[in-house]
Order: sequence, then structure tokens, then C-alpha cells
Amino acid sequence: MLSVKGLKANVGEKEILQGLDLEVGPGEVHAIMGPNGSGKSTFAHVLSGREGYEVTDGSVTFDGADLLELEPEERARIGLFLAFQYPVELPGVNNTYFLKAALNAIRKSRGEEELDAVSFMRLMKERLKILHLDDSLLKRPVNFGFSGGEKKRNEIFQMAMLEPKLAILDETDSGLDIDALRIVADGVNALRSPERSMLVVTHYQRLLDYIQPDYVHVLAKGRIIRSGGKELALELEEKGYGWIVGEEAA
Amino acid sequence: MSAAAKNIATEPQAQPGPFDGWLRGTGDDIDAVAGGLSWLARERTDALARVRGQGAPTAKTEGWRYTGLRSLIEQDFRPVDEPLTAVVADDLEDVLVPGLDAHRIVLVNGRYAPELCVTDDLPKGVRVGGLRETLAQDPDALEDLLTRIAGEGSHVFASLNTAGMDDGLVMLLERGAVVERPIEVIHLSVGMDEPRVAQPRHLVRLGDGAQAELIERYVSLGESLYCTNSVLEIALGRDAILKHRRLQSESPNAFHITGLYLRQGENSRYHGVNIGLGGAWARTDLIMRFAGEHAECDLVGLYLAGDKQLIDYHMDVRHALPNCSSRETFKGIVHGKGKAVFDGLVYVAQDAQKTDAAMSNRNLILSDSAEVDTKPQLEIYADDVKCSHGTTVGQIEPEMLFYLRSRGISAPIARRMLCLGFAGEIIDALGNQALQDYVAEQVGQRLEQAPI
Repeated sequence: MLSVKGLKANVGEKEILQGLDLEVGPGEVHAIMGPNGSGKSTFAHVLSGREGYEVTDGSVTFDGADLLELEPEERARIGLFLAFQYPVELPGVNNTYFLKAALNAIRKSRGEEELDAVSFMRLMKERLKILHLDDSLLKRPVNFGFSGGEKKRNEIFQMAMLEPKLAILDETDSGLDIDALRIVADGVNALRSPERSMLVVTHYQRLLDYIQPDYVHVLAKGRIIRSGGKELALELEEKGYGWIVGEEAA
Repeated sequence: MSAAAKNIATEPQAQPGPFDGWLRGTGDDIDAVAGGLSWLARERTDALARVRGQGAPTAKTEGWRYTGLRSLIEQDFRPVDEPLTAVVADDLEDVLVPGLDAHRIVLVNGRYAPELCVTDDLPKGVRVGGLRETLAQDPDALEDLLTRIAGEGSHVFASLNTAGMDDGLVMLLERGAVVERPIEVIHLSVGMDEPRVAQPRHLVRLGDGAQAELIERYVSLGESLYCTNSVLEIALGRDAILKHRRLQSESPNAFHITGLYLRQGENSRYHGVNIGLGGAWARTDLIMRFAGEHAECDLVGLYLAGDKQLIDYHMDVRHALPNCSSRETFKGIVHGKGKAVFDGLVYVAQDAQKTDAAMSNRNLILSDSAEVDTKPQLEIYADDVKCSHGTTVGQIEPEMLFYLRSRGISAPIARRMLCLGFAGEIIDALGNQALQDYVAEQVGQRLEQAPI
């Protein structure tokens, strides 16, 4: 599904990713944990094609495609989805209109028919129900004036509509209180399937109480320095990042 | 007064003026066109003298600093005098707004075209006709209105129009008349073999308590080259309400000048939405005056200027009386090598206490070579007022663009969505759904096709 080999990337002159390797199989949920500044968000951004990062070495293959060669919209169309840490407000752009444009752009690129208004509304209602969301956010401009929790829920709702093969959740838990976190995590869990992989990027173990990962990786100084099962996350919670990062340095 | 201005004011020009061609033949038959009306003949003679005395504004002339006239003068326009019987109802099909339910009035090259109008259902108390026929049949109906609302006008083009006026629309609503369906006025221009200028003069009067919605659209057949220099005079009686939508979407070779002069009676409301999509060169002056207290004037606008386009809106709102309010909310999108000018003046006289005035102009620039010159001005001489103004010039946020692209939407469509989002509140202000859809589509298409 996703294969990352020796990935190095700079922001300006500074090398943030320093040879990152990661393999994600279909349906697997991987958690990427690490201290602040370890390169977690950079990794998510490089995968999604955001500007401002220079890849200097390594490769990323996604479903057979050379991901780094693709424009952001092309990555989305072959099934990559980034749930933003800070979802962007789009004043004046209606949420429903936006989702319809996105879904139909993706469908069109796959040679599928565009959904008409009625089928689209039906699909939206169905997905809202799965996520236990009400439809008030559909009529509003995208993320505009949304609370932090609403923004994150809207990200998960977009994910439900666009049905990606790989979803990257970039610090989806940041800024959420426990109730909002539970709602978002329930949404994510409802979308788990054998065909959908997930990369859960987080600083805290807390999120992993709700979204149980198959694998946990520790990212430090731009490389994955340890991988394990979900018990690794518990160990991190208990001991902090210090021991593992220190161990690596020694 | 500057030395240059003094010269112009005191020494009539000896050489031929740049706009002599626009008035070819006018000097000879002013009395004939004025229908033997001495007051009108006098106005036109005075206007002619002003044109000859003033010449063309230059880059040093107040209000013309950013709006070059060279391309306009170079065309050497002549008055349009070709017959217009060739235009038939089928020709209108391409320029109609789908689904718009309205009474329809059509002018072709500035001349009232009754055979193309659909006005059978207009309610009682509403009179619609051509200026030429009204002057011939019932000139008294125009006295104290025609040329009296605009006065000398704000610049030479108003004088040119007064001197050269040939026909136009007259719409008179009696006291209390209410028109429920909108009245659409299509100003259709058809290019001739030679560059032609039309100088229509329009008059709209709403009697006390009258209400109407007027949708004016300036459109072209094909990619015609022509110039329209129009003046529109509007008088609102006490308690009258006019919703006025003006949509200018003309051929890429069109030149357009409009001077809109509004006089508002006590407690009247004017709500105007201006959509400027082009044209090669377009200049609009909105000159608003209050003749009674507690009147509200709301001006909303959107302009979209792309390659080889200049769009210029000038506003001049004068509060001479207390207790009136005015709002100017204009947004602009400029791309390619497009250029836009926004110049808004709100003047609050010493006696105009309790004035409530707000002006805002926000611009989105899509390319490095696009240009916006924006100049909101408040001049306040009263001490108990609420006034504000603000202006911004910005670009599309890369973050917003990336967010949309990360959801599979291509960059051109994403840009279109963001621009329409920016313009959305103005388009919404049109109120009429068919018109909103039409304008959104026109704006979207232009943005998508245009080089960024």
C-alpha cells in the first residue's frame, strides 16, 4: 500500500526527515509518535504534497505510484487523504458544494460517473448518520467559524465521503477535549475497513486508547527509531520519550 | 485651483477637441433634438460649450489619475446613426438570463426598441418609453427631471452626453406604484463597421412611496468594438424604494462610460448592486445626493478585471442633510494584466449630524502583473456621526488552495471556488436567484478561462 524508503526532506536549509523508512499494508493502522520537532507533521505534509518541503533523497510508493511525482490533487484522486492538524477556513465556500466538487473530481479521475445532486445528498445523509453528526455543518462555509471540535469532525466527515485508501490523521487529537476526542475517534473507527489503511500521527498516547493501532512507530530526529505493537505506546506514556531517544543516542 | 485648471476654465480651446467627432452634427440641430424645448436647448448649448472649453481629462485631472484615456480617444468614435431594424427578438436569446422572470425593456445601441420589449403586464401607474418619443409627445413629464438631477455632471463625459443625447429610456412610476416583478433593461450593443459611440440618456423616477426592482444589463452581440457613454438620472420620491442591479458584461473590445446620478427623497431607500465584468475599458461614476432626511443609500459592487481590461468605479456620496445613511461595499478580483480603480468619496457636511456612513473595498489580486488602485476617502465636517472606511488588497492564501487540492480539486477549479467564495456576499446581494446563478457562472467562466 504505502512504502517509504530512506526519505529525506528539508525545510529551507534544515534537514527535517533524515532517512525515514515505513511500510504500511492494506487495512493496517499505524501510529507515528514522537516528541515535538521530531518531523511528524513534516512527514504528513510531504506525503500529501504540500509546498515548502524539498525532498532530497529516498522514495515513496503508494499503490504502485511514485507519490512524490504527483500533484496534491492527483494524490487525493488515487486515494490519499490528509486530515489536517489545522483545518483551513474557506469563507464563502459552501461545505456541500465543496464536498461535491471534491468527490466528483475524484470519481471523474477514476472514470466513474459524477454523482447528481440527489444521489450526492443521499450519500451525505448516510455518512452523517454513520458518524452521528448533524447536518447543520453542511450549509455553512467550509470550517468557517467552526469550533475546534467541529473542524476535526468535518475532516473525518470528508474522509467518510471521499473514501480514501490511506488516511493520514495529522495530530487529529490536538486541541480536543475528551468528549470531542471520543466523537472523532468513533468516526475514525467507523471508517476502518480491510481496504483502508491509516497513519495516525500523534504526540499523545491518549488518542490510541480510542483508535487502536496495529503498529506503533517512534519518530525522532527525522527517523523511525523504534517500532512495535500498541504496547509500545503504553510504554512511551509511562516513561516519556526521553528513555527511547536517549537510548538511541547512546 | 491649479494653474492648469485655471487655464481650462478661462480660455476656450481654439484647436479641435478630442471629442468633437462624438458630437458631429449635434451643434447644428440642438433645437431640433430638444423638441423646441427652450430649457433643454439651453442645457445642451451650455453642455456643448463646456465640452469645447474643457477638453479631455489628463493624468493630472482629479479622478483620472489611474484611468488613461488614450485608448478611448484613439478610436476616434463617431455617433451611431445606422438604423437598427436588423436586430430581431431571436438575437436576444444568447444574452438572456436563464430563468429570469421579469418585464423586459430593450435598447439597441442606445435607442429604445419597443418592438423588442415585453412590457404588457406592467401595472398601472408605470410609464415606460423612449426619451425621443417622450420629448416629442409629452415633454412636460420630463421638466425638472431631465438634466436637473445630474446638473453639469462630474466630468466632460456627462457634458458630452447632455450635448449629444439622442434617445434613451424613460421610466416613470407614479406615487404609490408598486412593481412586483423586476423590470429588466437590456442595453444591447451591436458593433458597426466603423467605431461608433452611443450616448443614451436615461431617466427613472419613482414617485412618493413607489417601489420597483430594476435590473440593467449591458451586453454585446459578438466581439463588437463600440463605445457607450450613458448618463442615468434617478429621482426617488419620499418613502420610495428602488432595488437597482447593474450588470456590465460586454464584448472584450467595448468601451463603457456610465454616470449614475441619484437624488433621494426623505426616508427613501436605494439598494444598488453593480457587477462589472468588462469590457476593454469601463468607467462608472455613482453620484449620490440626499434631498431629504432618513434616506438610505446602499451601494454594493463586484468587479472582475482580466487581461487588457480596465474597470474603474468612482463614487461620490454627499451627506448634506442629517440622519441619512450610506454604505459602499465593493470587492474586486484582478488577474492577468488587468487593472481596476476604486475611488470612493463620502462627504459629510457640517449640518449632516447623525450620518451613518461606511465604505469598504476589498481586492483579490491573482497575478503579479495585475493592478488595483484603491482610494476610499471620508471627508467629515459634522461632529456627531458614525463613519468608517477600510480597504484591503490581498492574494489567494496558498493554504486555502492547498486544502482544496488535497481533496482532489484541480488548481484552476480551486482558484475559481475561492474567488467565488470571496465574491459570494456580493453575488448574494443581487437577491434574485436566477441573476445570482447567472453572475456566478459568468464570473466562474471568466476566471477559469483567463490566464492567472
